[in-house]
Amino acid sequence: MKVGVFKFSSCDGCQLAFFELEEEFLSLAEVLSIEYFLEASSENRWTDFDLAFVEGSISTPEEEDRIRKIRENSKILIAIGACAVSGGIQSARNYEDFQEIFTGIYRGRVSFEIKPHSRPISDFVKVDLEIRGCPINREHLRNTIYSLLIGLRPELPAYPLCLECKRKGNACVVVSKGQLCLGPITCTGCGALCPSFGRGCYGCFGPSEKPNYEAFYEMARRLGIEEKELKVALRLSFNGYNPALREVL
Amino acid sequence: MKVKLSALTRVEGEGALELLLEEGRLKALKLEIYEPPRFIEALLKGKSYEYIPDITARICGICPVAYQFSSLQAIERAFDAFVPEEVERARRLMYYGEWIQSHALHIFFLHLPDFYRLPSIVELSRVHKELVLAGLDIKRAGSLILQKLGGRSSHPVSPVPGGFSYLPEDLSDLKSPLELALEKSLWVAEKLRELSFPNLELEGFVFVSLVEEDYPILKGDIYFEGRSIKPEEFKEYFVEEEVEYSTAKHARMKDGRPYLVGALSRLNNNFEKLSELAVKTALSLNLEPPLKNPYKSILVRLVEVVHALERAIELVDSYIKPPVSRVEIKPKRSEGVGISEAPRGILWHRYTFDEEGKVLSADIVPPTSQNQKAMELSLFKLLQGFEDFSEKLLRDVAEPMVRNFDPCISCATHFLRIRLKHV
Repeated sequence: MKVGVFKFSSCDGCQLAFFELEEEFLSLAEVLSIEYFLEASSENRWTDFDLAFVEGSISTPEEEDRIRKIRENSKILIAIGACAVSGGIQSARNYEDFQEIFTGIYRGRVSFEIKPHSRPISDFVKVDLEIRGCPINREHLRNTIYSLLIGLRPELPAYPLCLECKRKGNACVVVSKGQLCLGPITCTGCGALCPSFGRGCYGCFGPSEKPNYEAFYEMARRLGIEEKELKVALRLSFNGYNPALREVL
Repeated sequence: MKVKLSALTRVEGEGALELLLEEGRLKALKLEIYEPPRFIEALLKGKSYEYIPDITARICGICPVAYQFSSLQAIERAFDAFVPEEVERARRLMYYGEWIQSHALHIFFLHLPDFYRLPSIVELSRVHKELVLAGLDIKRAGSLILQKLGGRSSHPVSPVPGGFSYLPEDLSDLKSPLELALEKSLWVAEKLRELSFPNLELEGFVFVSLVEEDYPILKGDIYFEGRSIKPEEFKEYFVEEEVEYSTAKHARMKDGRPYLVGALSRLNNNFEKLSELAVKTALSLNLEPPLKNPYKSILVRLVEVVHALERAIELVDSYIKPPVSRVEIKPKRSEGVGISEAPRGILWHRYTFDEEGKVLSADIVPPTSQNQKAMELSLFKLLQGFEDFSEKLLRDVAEPMVRNFDPCISCATHFLRIRLKHV
């Protein structure tokens, strides 16, 4: 299986999940043939790929051309992480005045082209699979690779974090501390980390399947959180420009 | 004539290298950084201080804790919050976890293959399996600290303004993986004595690091050439310039001299503060200040791993869950500066806040933009003797020089000052 790992606008953290596989990364490298992975090897070959793992959002014209080229050359394209899936933290600017982002802060010479919006991969090309998270969970990467190796479609959880949090026996931070928690509308997969560490979920795995926004907004109202404040939290949830979330923002 | 290496490999982020030749001789050289900026500082404007640590962490997936801790220090200074000593010790432990993980990733995955003229850790593991497995044991120890204290090894969730959202009752299960990693790193140090290093010294660079009670990591004053200045004075001594070909700014001393941050500078400025085993390891590898050969930075990182592991074990041994893991924050109109030693060097943050604690301005200077000039000058010095500038030469000779500096290009880019060419 020919594999490529590609990076767009991002922090590099999701590619690191390959290294997080540790010894398994080494043995997988013997089974898969990793043709293109700039961060891992100084020998890279542009070819047709069976699997293309894509980290990062699209925020320049060059990136837009490159993702189309990768799509044309790849059988299965997998978006990894909140930047690729939703546009990343940098997509919070999509809700602000882009000129203002620059004015007063940025000056100097023109050096290269940048788009006002940071967008997910799926705004440009067909995405076959998503691995959620900021960063992704290495177990999800492992599950995805092994499933594809034996010809199965990978199954990753899409239900809300609350279910996993309850299973772990955590006290609900909304009920016990009166804190905002994005768990009810956020996809699980992290191990309900934030509530397990005494704080509300901040949404880094993006919207769950069929999020009940109405009930969620009602919960926030009861906590005394203004709608404006709530929208800021969702825009800064690292997934604020996910197609399922931008509808309600 | 121009020769170009369009994508640097085995570095964090996206960069390119371009040489300008005149009659076959090297005339000029540019380290281009084309990673798109993500405007993190601009996004923080108008947002509550509470968002800062988690958002700035996303500047870098390999050193997020450095961003969390530099920003927390700035926030706590601005609002006069004093974190209890035992909480600060837990922060130190977590930061050692990041150093161990980040240094091990750089040493074994990115840098070491160069010394065996191999393209990646995969090929390296075929010929030196034991060495690579030792590297993974070391990396794992760092990752385990981060997972234990912060839930995950990249973008951990527990660091919050005032302390931690949660701290574990007990850390004793970290002990044996840390001891194993320490044993393995001493063994790796023995093995790396076999490496040979090109003879090249960095001349005319000022070595800049922090200085604190111990070998610097969490906080401190800025130290260079025998003097120390306060973090608030940073911009009075160091300036950043915009360069046309790069989305990252270049930094220099105000008097024009280039400076260097990171492992080499820390070692040169703080050698006597290394842990006992780290000093022994350094001496066994013939590392003594002033150390000016950038290729030996791989050894310095290993010495720092030994130091971090030894200190981490002490902190695990003495750990008692703090009675208060988080102090209250009372926002006010104010300004705060924070600085710490990221794995790649000093990381400086400054914020101004309104009375509710909303960000009025944010300014971040990461280590890689500070080292960009040093990288270019070193590359120029290295390459000027050559006559045949093929892409192969750039891959085989120039790239390894870049890796000596462990650049983190994602970090360097986020804050650039550029103007729109296309909207």
